[in-house]
Formats: sequence, structure tokens, C-alpha cells
Amino acid sequence: MSFQPITGPVSSPGSGIFPTLVYVQGNDQRTINLDHTPFTVGRKVDKDLVIADPRVSRDHALITSEDGQFCVVDQGSKHGTFVNGERVQRKTLERNDRVEFGVRDVSYVIFHPHHASSNTAREFLSQISGIQISTDATDLEKLTLFLEAARKLNTTGVLDEILVTLLDATLKLTRAERGYVFLRDEESKLRLAAGRNSKDEPLLDDTTISHSILDEALKSNSEFVITDTSQSLDLAGRHSIVAYDLRTVICIPLRKPQVQATRGAQAPAPTESSAEVMGALYVDSRFASRDISSVSNDILRAIATEAASLIENARLVQAEEASRRYQQELSIAASIQQRLMAVTIPEVPFARLKGRNLSCKEIGGDFFDAVNTDEGLAVVLADVSGKGVSAALLASTLQGMIYSQLIAGMPLVEIVAAVNRFFTHKHIGEKYATLIIARIRRDGELEYVNCGHVPPLLVCNHEVMRPPHGNLPVGLLADATYESDHCSLHAGDRLILVTDGVTEAENARGDFFEDSRLETVAAKSSSLEDIFTAVANFCGGTPLSDDCTVLELVYTG
Amino acid sequence: MNLKIDKRVVKGVTIMSCHGRVMFGEEATALRDSLKEALTKTPRIVLNLSDVTYIDSGGLGTLVGVYSSARSAGADIKLTGLGQRLRDVLQITKLATVFQVFDSEEEALAALGQGIA
Repeated sequence: MSFQPITGPVSSPGSGIFPTLVYVQGNDQRTINLDHTPFTVGRKVDKDLVIADPRVSRDHALITSEDGQFCVVDQGSKHGTFVNGERVQRKTLERNDRVEFGVRDVSYVIFHPHHASSNTAREFLSQISGIQISTDATDLEKLTLFLEAARKLNTTGVLDEILVTLLDATLKLTRAERGYVFLRDEESKLRLAAGRNSKDEPLLDDTTISHSILDEALKSNSEFVITDTSQSLDLAGRHSIVAYDLRTVICIPLRKPQVQATRGAQAPAPTESSAEVMGALYVDSRFASRDISSVSNDILRAIATEAASLIENARLVQAEEASRRYQQELSIAASIQQRLMAVTIPEVPFARLKGRNLSCKEIGGDFFDAVNTDEGLAVVLADVSGKGVSAALLASTLQGMIYSQLIAGMPLVEIVAAVNRFFTHKHIGEKYATLIIARIRRDGELEYVNCGHVPPLLVCNHEVMRPPHGNLPVGLLADATYESDHCSLHAGDRLILVTDGVTEAENARGDFFEDSRLETVAAKSSSLEDIFTAVANFCGGTPLSDDCTVLELVYTG
Repeated sequence: MNLKIDKRVVKGVTIMSCHGRVMFGEEATALRDSLKEALTKTPRIVLNLSDVTYIDSGGLGTLVGVYSSARSAGADIKLTGLGQRLRDVLQITKLATVFQVFDSEEEALAALGQGIA
């Protein structure tokens, strides 16, 4: 592959338009401008990125560019090239992709499409327009080039930047004084998204514009509406025009781009007016200022069609970024949860403990733990409300708190009261946990405290009992008080603890597994696996909507 | 979103009827926002849950959260129309003692009326 400049004539490094690689090695990191391609990586000293590690091949990989995309290409390296943990031969790079060359974890590269320190669309646009547009180009040509450039931008979070750029361009072209973009929100109400005046200052207040003209333009079928108040006879009811001395108002409805939009010489497609209006571009000038009513219709038409697709694209990019972040969050939560569930079960001569967890797709806040002290073998099963990273983190905190207090041999009731104080102090309602802590002594004496959790199953000789004892969950009410319950187990008695993911496992008809089915299988079977099999059979193919965790404590005497 | 909330005001009491599922996420958020908004208009609310088919832990947490903050701000929320499942959940979590639950809207309204008389 031959040398390919990535950008136009602007080529000084760090000018803000080059993609960058953040190279992380141990605790050090540095930013490398990807100012030419192919960009070479390897152990040889003549590489653009030299990684002196025996696991990196001499000619390890290249980063190439094609059509504005960047690609990592493995050069037949011995230990492989990885993108986000997956070994690749060739892969197009996306923002924040993690690329590893032979060495896993110790050193890696994060890809950023544009220079991080000056990641503004506007800067990029102004550079492009500054270079490529000749001075004798018509306004329309300028605008088209400008918008083309903006559309190619795939930087995330640029909607605001794009709107401001669009306004600045429109103000320049129409010579209007003030410009505003309104976008419809989720409730379909128009909201001010950006405002600028001709001095490039932001305008945050839209009370002095003519809302009646704005409404009219949105209802009309036209591509744009020009109101010249010096020509208009009926100004009754148009308060803003009179009060603020507005001379000319141009309003351009922004319609969602149609898939088969007709462009060019043909008349506007008949579907045009029915297209969904997603917002409006509004510019005006005062009497004291200049007349803008003579602005070229071609320019207004171009703005109308281009601006809409510009905004739509920026929105799509934002949506994509949001889903990407969601995926990232999921993987963080999954790794927290893996640690929560990695419990070493202590071995004691008088009891046997088994635990198993089945995670649903979304990460929940289930965890269990087991601690053996002089007071006996304690087991904890908890379910933090909610899902995702916040639930997993809270579960992690909770696990740590309970563990340390169990190790210290604290009474169970005091432990949950302390946890409740902590939770209600830190989180007001809404985030709470149901949990059950049970501690069995060598002599079979069982003490347990149930805080809003599914009641445990006590199985004695194939007979299932559900003790009615219970307290409030922890974290809901600051002044909650807690009590524990006691019972004596005999050799062979089993205590089964489940989270509500088990009893609320759903089948295709929307029925729950329910306590009754749980009790039936618990009575019949002496294995944890049988409970999971019964749940799986019941659900059929319906995926779990919550984590299922089951603990079984058998007193062996 | 699997939750629809209707509101009407009767003699200074907002009656909110929920239809669908109250789940952690957008439904719980919608319920919280609705309740908070209603509380800015009337300090007394009857929450009718008779058409709620399911309420998960997050939904319940939201309910308790709004309920306790409303109570501490001097407002009053009564629940009615609780299905068997929700009653069970409140029983297990011992929250039945926290909420004021009534069998019908009329009884809840009457209780609120007595409260201010």
C-alpha cells in the first residue's frame, strides 16, 4: 500500500484533524498522531511504533487508511494482533477500539478518530472550508462544500457543534442578524437547540423571535417561508415583530430526509410536505439592520435539504454512541459480577454448602457469600434492586460490609441494621437490597435474619416448610428494626435459599415459576441442579429476565 | 414503555391509575416523575394499582422512595387496587406495614377526607 495523505493540504501534526493513537504501556501513556499511512508497528527500530518486547514480531502490523476509514492489518505476526480482545487479520478501527500487538494487557493502543485535544467539528470544518473553497466560488458552492464536509464527519457528540456551524454558515450566507435552530423533543415539542448572532455569539433566549411565523412555517408545505414585514399588511397578533422591530424573518422547516428524495431540477416530490418535520431553522433581521429578503432562493432550498440530513446523521451517530456505551457498561457490570460470584465455599465438618447462579442477559445485583467463624458457618444471599453497573457496584459494597462484620463475629441483627443505616444514609430509597443471612452452629442451631427476601425453604424428610419470619429490606427506611429467627436442624435437614429470579422466572405465557413449583421440586430432589432443570423446563425458551441464584445448606450433624 | 398513567383530580385529591407493568427503568422513572408532579399540585394522592400486572424490585423501590419522601414532606399517599401478587410482595418485604392500603378508591378517599377534617 502506498503512502496516502489522510487529509488535504493541512498536515502539520497536532492540528486537530488527525486521528490519534493513545499508546499505553504499563503506567505510561503517550499520544501518537496518525499523520500518515501505512503506519507501521513492530519490534524493528524503523517502525513508526516500536514495541521492544519479544512477543511482538519484527514486522507486526500496519494501520492503513481507505476511504476515510482506518484499518489494522496483521503482517503475519507470531503472537497475533487483537482488537478488543479478538484476534484479527484485518479490522476496521472504531473510536475507542483497543488494539494489542502480541503482548496482551501490558501494552496496547486506543484508537481515536480525531485528535483528542481539539476534537471539534467546527475547527475541522473551518479548516476544510478555508482550504478548499476558492474565493470566487458562489455562496451556494461554498455552502454545499461546507455541508458535504460536515456530513462526512463522524465524530460523536457533535450535534451541538453541527448546529452552531450550520447557524454560522446560514447567517453568513443570508446576512441575517440572528439565527436559531429548533428541534422537536421526544414529546414532539419544539425546543431551542442552538442560537447565534452574526457576531458569533451564542443566543440562549428565544423569547424575542416571532413564534407565530415559526408555527406557520412548520404547518406550511413550503421549503421555506420569508416574511418581509415592510410588505406585510396584517401584523395584528404578531407581537414580536412589532415589539422587536423585526424586518425580515426566514424560517426553514427541517424535514426528515426521505429515502427517495428527489433533488435537482425536478419539482419537489409530492411526499415532501408529508415528510416528518423534525425542527426548524429560523433567522431574522431588524429594521435598523439590513434587508435579507433578497437572499437567493437556491441557498435557502439547499440549506433546507442539507441541514435536515446533517442533523439526522448527527442524531444517528449519537444513538450509535449511546448503544456502544451501553454495551461497555454491560461488560463492566459483568466483570464486577463475576468477582461477586467467585466465592470460595468453606469446608466444615458439620455442614455442606452449595451455591449456583444463572445470570440473565442484563446484569443484576445478586450475590452470595459464605464465611466460617467460631460462631458457625454463615451464608449470605442478597439481591440488590435494579440492574447494570450501579446494582453490581452496590452489591459489591454490600458484600464487603457483610463479610467484614461476619468475620468480626457480630450478631446478625446488628449486621443488617448497620447495612440499613449505611444504605439509607447514602441512597434515598429506590436503591435497596433484599437479603438473608443464616448462620448454623456445629450443634445444628440455626439463626437467620430475612430482610424482605423470598422466604427460605426448610426441607426436613421431604417435607418443605416456609417460615413466615421476615423484616423490611435494607436500604428502604432509615428507622427500620430487624429481628432474627431461630430453629434447630437435625442431620439431613436442608435450608434452601433462592432469589426472586427463581420464583419469578417466566414462561412464554407470562406465568411465573412461583413458590409452589419451587417447593415441589425442593421436596422431591436433593440436588441443586434439579431446581435449575425444573426452572429451565418451565421457561422453555423464554430467556431469564432476572438472575437466578440458589444456595443449599445441608446440616450433616 | 409498558406503563400508562391516568390522572384525575377529585376534591383536591389526585387519583392516579396505573396500567401495565412497573419495572426498574423507564416505567419506574415515569411513575416517580408522575407522582412528584402530582404532589406539586395536590398533597394528597390515591394510587390505584388495580391494572398493574407486575411490579419488580426496582418499581417497588421507586414506590417506597416517593412514598417516604412524600410522607416526610407532609404529603399523603394511599394505595388501592393491590392484586394478590403485589400483596404477597408487600407481605414478604414487610412493606405492608409501611404503606396505607385500601380495598377501594372510595375507602382511600374517605380516609384522606378524615385526615383533613
